[in-house]
Amino acid sequence: MKKKKFGQRWNELLKDIKDNPDALKSAVMSFFVMGLGQFRNKQKAKGFTFLGFGAVAFLTELFTGGYFYIFSDLAQYPADPGGQIYFIRDYGGIFSKGLWGLATLGKVVRGALYRGQAVETFNKIIPWLSADNSVTLLGTGLIALVLTSIVLSVWIYNIRDAYVSRKLILKHGTIETGKEYVKRLWSDMFPYLVLIPTLIMVLFFTLIPFMFSFLLAFTNYTYRIPVPSRLIEWVGFKNFAMIAGDPGWFSVFSQILSWTFFYAIMASATCYIMGLIQAVIIESKYVKVKKFWRTIMIVPWAVPAMISLMVFRNVFENTGLANQLLLKTGLMPAVSNFLFQIGLQGRPDTVISWLTVNYNGNLAKAVVILVNLWLGAPYFMMLITGVLTTLPKDLYEAAAIDGASKWQAFRNITLPLILRATLPAIIMTFTYNFNNFGAIYFLTGGGPAYNLEQIPLSMQVMGGIPGQTDILISWIYKLSFSNNAQLFNIAAVYSILIFIFIGSISVVNLARSKGIWEEE
Amino acid sequence: MKKYSVSDIILKIVAHIWLILGSIVVLVPLLWMVSAAFTPGKLLSGVPLIPDFSNLSLEHYTYIFSYKSNPASLLADYPGAFVRTLQIAVLNTIGVVFFAVITGFAFARLRFKGKKQMLLTMMILQMFPSFMGMIALFLLFRTFGFLNKPNYLALIYTAGSIPYNTFLVRGFMRNIPKSLDEAAAIDGASPLQILRLILFPLIVPIVGFLAVGAFMGPWLDYILQSVFLQPEQMTVAVWLYRTTDPLLTLVYNPLNFMAGALLIAIPIMVVQFFMQKYMVYGLTSGAEKG
Repeated sequence: MKKKKFGQRWNELLKDIKDNPDALKSAVMSFFVMGLGQFRNKQKAKGFTFLGFGAVAFLTELFTGGYFYIFSDLAQYPADPGGQIYFIRDYGGIFSKGLWGLATLGKVVRGALYRGQAVETFNKIIPWLSADNSVTLLGTGLIALVLTSIVLSVWIYNIRDAYVSRKLILKHGTIETGKEYVKRLWSDMFPYLVLIPTLIMVLFFTLIPFMFSFLLAFTNYTYRIPVPSRLIEWVGFKNFAMIAGDPGWFSVFSQILSWTFFYAIMASATCYIMGLIQAVIIESKYVKVKKFWRTIMIVPWAVPAMISLMVFRNVFENTGLANQLLLKTGLMPAVSNFLFQIGLQGRPDTVISWLTVNYNGNLAKAVVILVNLWLGAPYFMMLITGVLTTLPKDLYEAAAIDGASKWQAFRNITLPLILRATLPAIIMTFTYNFNNFGAIYFLTGGGPAYNLEQIPLSMQVMGGIPGQTDILISWIYKLSFSNNAQLFNIAAVYSILIFIFIGSISVVNLARSKGIWEEE
Repeated sequence: MKKYSVSDIILKIVAHIWLILGSIVVLVPLLWMVSAAFTPGKLLSGVPLIPDFSNLSLEHYTYIFSYKSNPASLLADYPGAFVRTLQIAVLNTIGVVFFAVITGFAFARLRFKGKKQMLLTMMILQMFPSFMGMIALFLLFRTFGFLNKPNYLALIYTAGSIPYNTFLVRGFMRNIPKSLDEAAAIDGASPLQILRLILFPLIVPIVGFLAVGAFMGPWLDYILQSVFLQPEQMTVAVWLYRTTDPLLTLVYNPLNFMAGALLIAIPIMVVQFFMQKYMVYGLTSGAEKG
């Protein structure tokens, strides 16, 4: 069936309404009071259900708000001379005040004079003398937004139902009994009922936090705004303009971004190649006790990543295992000189500072990638081992008959088959590494630091300075949580950028495998 | 017996040299960790490269089990941290199993509007960097008075795992023939009965895999636990991190870290090895270890 255009559907609806004035009457009744149209249609059970829902929503608004204060003596305080009274702010309930807060992010700060009295952080007796906390308003506003959309959709459904039921009654002369209705509703609604706990969880722990942080990108919220003594404001795309327009920020951002890409690509590629080599060697006919070697090689995968990373942080301490080994085996001068020659080490013939030297961050970057290789190779080894066991034997026999060498067979049969089978996993690993916070944070903590002259003045003032091995995600962490930064708005902007990039890659990756989405 | 050619022998030697070198690289850091856990003192340089069995010390374990914290200390006592983490882990396991089964079932077997869109939305939303969401969650927890109460963190872990687990269980369930459900439905079984009596026994492997993952997760999640809990409520991950943070000079002792880390790493490693079979299933569905 072809989808109809919106305009066409609209015209059909208008025509339908013109033809059924009686059904429209029921719909209008339900428009004003939920369930009223259903009563007119003589569908009592339904009517009570909708009426009850509407009443609950209405009473919630009434009782969560301060409407009763309007009639109390307290409300007699006038506005300040020239001041304004925010009616919804002072009396509104969860829905109206929530949406008001979301739109304005608050109007009255602590210490201000409002309706003739001083505003405190929290005033137990007179609610409107509690200061507006923009952050809380944003959060409750989002909850209100979600609740409002739920109520609105039930309300719309109620109107539609009144209309459609009336039409059916007029057409068939009979009405669906309450029992039939409940039975039908139960089977229609069963999947949603099953999903209610899940939806609540996703709503509160995924959707609302997502919207909250998304919206932060359009505010001026940083640690410099001590709520509730000051208000957060909506600033539109100003933060986006700042990170793109300030040349200093932009240069730091591009450095971080290019390292993030380099890291994600190198980390995935090295792990893949190493995993491939390991799998091919262990599965080859030259190795007899395959299970023994495989078990040893997957050990790093069994160790919790955070622990291995922190062990490696100690391994590469100045007095750690790496330097001790080099000293004991007498290789230290050679390795130190070699690293000096290829430009990774500041001075020759010294003990190597793997993670801390301020010479250039490249040595630390190399260590980051190598440690990731240690951690990540077993994953691909296991994956590729699995693929190898499923390869069709007859292809190799045919190739051997055609006189192909083993290398040719590997190059032209094995490799393409493995690549094709593991492509989704490679893409997933790339996106995973792109956001691999732990691999940076637990190993280097983002260090070594940049030279201060590489950091623009604006960033030195605002805070949130990244280290040389910081990838985008660990920089975001620093931007939002280090004590002298807490640039939540900037961090949110970068989060949105990552989200768009990683999200689109993942969507393409998921959509590629059509079988996953087909419904039988 | 087939005879080996010269090139075969060379390849065999090369392969084994590679494997031996690889094993050294894989095992040495871990052996060093074990050795460090039993070395006295607090200096990494004191850890012998070749384990010195005459100088083994249980000093760090005595410290771990006898240290008593007070509200002002930078470090909580390890047994307390262990119990708190265990609670989070158990709650998370229960939550994950419940939601994985019920949501996976809904998406695999039930028909409803917007099914595909819902799953896709959940999976995409999950790609948003979680630190930013943490600020919102922090506020939410503060509003509900959940802050500084370790058990409530299980809510966040459980919720966070829903999209991916749903995807996995759904995929697993779709490989179970629908004729089983239909036969049961003809006999008058309700959808929930079908899930409980017919499908659940068949999805035990994947659910077991998820349960083990859910149990292990909280032991090694540092950031969330460090932001949401005060030091006196700290968990094992925070405990471990703090002992290797050179800035906290009072409690900094990398050897204590090694000892504490070993305590939780060993059980986890044992479980990982036992669960290998299921892990491979997770891998082939494109899973990634976190």
